[in-house]
Amino acid sequence: MKPLIALTDVSRTYQAGPALCGVSLTVQPGEFVAVMGPSGSGKSTLLNLIAGLDRPSGGTVVVDGVDLATLGEAALARFRRRRVGFVFQFFNLLGSLTVAGNIGIPAQLAGVKPRIAAQRVQKLLDQLDLVGVADQFPARLSGGERQRVAVARALVNRPALLLADEPTGALDSRAGDQVMELLAGLHRGGQTIVLVTHDAKLAATAADRVVTLRDGRVLDDAPLATASGQSASALLRIHGPQREATP
Amino acid sequence: MSVKYGILGLLAQQPLHGYEVKTRFESLFGGTWEVNFGQVYTTLQRLERDGLVEPADGRGDRAKLTYRLTGAGRAALERWLAQPEAEPQQLREEIHLKLLLTGRLANGNLPGLLAGQRRVYLQRLKDLAALERRARQDGRGDLVLVIKSAMLHTEADLKWVDVCEDELGEHGDNADSPKGGPGSEAAHRID
Repeated sequence: MKPLIALTDVSRTYQAGPALCGVSLTVQPGEFVAVMGPSGSGKSTLLNLIAGLDRPSGGTVVVDGVDLATLGEAALARFRRRRVGFVFQFFNLLGSLTVAGNIGIPAQLAGVKPRIAAQRVQKLLDQLDLVGVADQFPARLSGGERQRVAVARALVNRPALLLADEPTGALDSRAGDQVMELLAGLHRGGQTIVLVTHDAKLAATAADRVVTLRDGRVLDDAPLATASGQSASALLRIHGPQREATP
Repeated sequence: MSVKYGILGLLAQQPLHGYEVKTRFESLFGGTWEVNFGQVYTTLQRLERDGLVEPADGRGDRAKLTYRLTGAGRAALERWLAQPEAEPQQLREEIHLKLLLTGRLANGNLPGLLAGQRRVYLQRLKDLAALERRARQDGRGDLVLVIKSAMLHTEADLKWVDVCEDELGEHGDNADSPKGGPGSEAAHRID
């Protein structure tokens, strides 16, 4: 299968120093990859390079068959709008637009016909359980609802790739769980997702592969087996196997 | 933790015979603690010897003997439940021994050991999350709490691997005198 993302020996150096050093990474269509690491490990830099929001100092970034270095600024912006969806920690919704309006913006910017765009918005409102708040403004919504709107907005142009940067970072644990369940559902539907997080539980629970970054390098790239069917005692012993001492 | 108090706790709810004790014990823990019948049986005998349980209806067929809690048994159970846990921290996993030995062997591969361990912990988190979902679906809110304990411990294990790697990164040049080895302890004392 042709990889959806292929990074080859990618480096990014800022004035303060190197943020990424020689990172190579491929992601196949349909994968859910979590990129984990402490702050300063380079994970957001990596995400920005994959998204075409930033350009590498060295190496190549190929996304959906396109070498991003071959694109000028305008072409790169078009590429981002059409092929990549973003979800951020802070939802970045426009306060002056309704939920439906926010979801529709990227379609409008990408020049999708209004009738088609409206259909897609309606479908996403249904799919993400947002029909009831379609005409509300973001200020009236809970954090979890805002993030669902942000996910819907990220999906409206049917991107090949969904990028999520600490999507539960500003949510309480219940709303966070719901957003992660939403991402897991999209993944089951075939959506390729790259999730950046410092939260091991989030990474391991949702993703089928965990890439650990440290100091701008890939420390480990671990495939995870689907959790299913294991007996409780194979996972967890409340008491160790040794015999109890005589009471 | 102790089979003894587990059995006392079950008998505090109602009298049970040995096999019922075993099955209820395992179901209490959602199958995470398997006890064999022999263990249950000998523990019941000791508890009876110590006056904490007694046969509910005279002595009959041993296999069908139903036990109930005595007053002393209930008091012992309540004392135990009322005490907060202050046992020594248990680091039972062999990874700690492996870490200590690997640092002392000429061909020891500490980074490899830690990387392998990280994968085990990540997979464990995923598996425990699935277990938690099942417990929730089964309406076992109490078991969810126990599984959350296991998940938080696993997250701590992952942080520990991070810390080990950070320490190794900083002290990686003198791999033949591991931090915390006998030499550095002596040096600390001189300081």
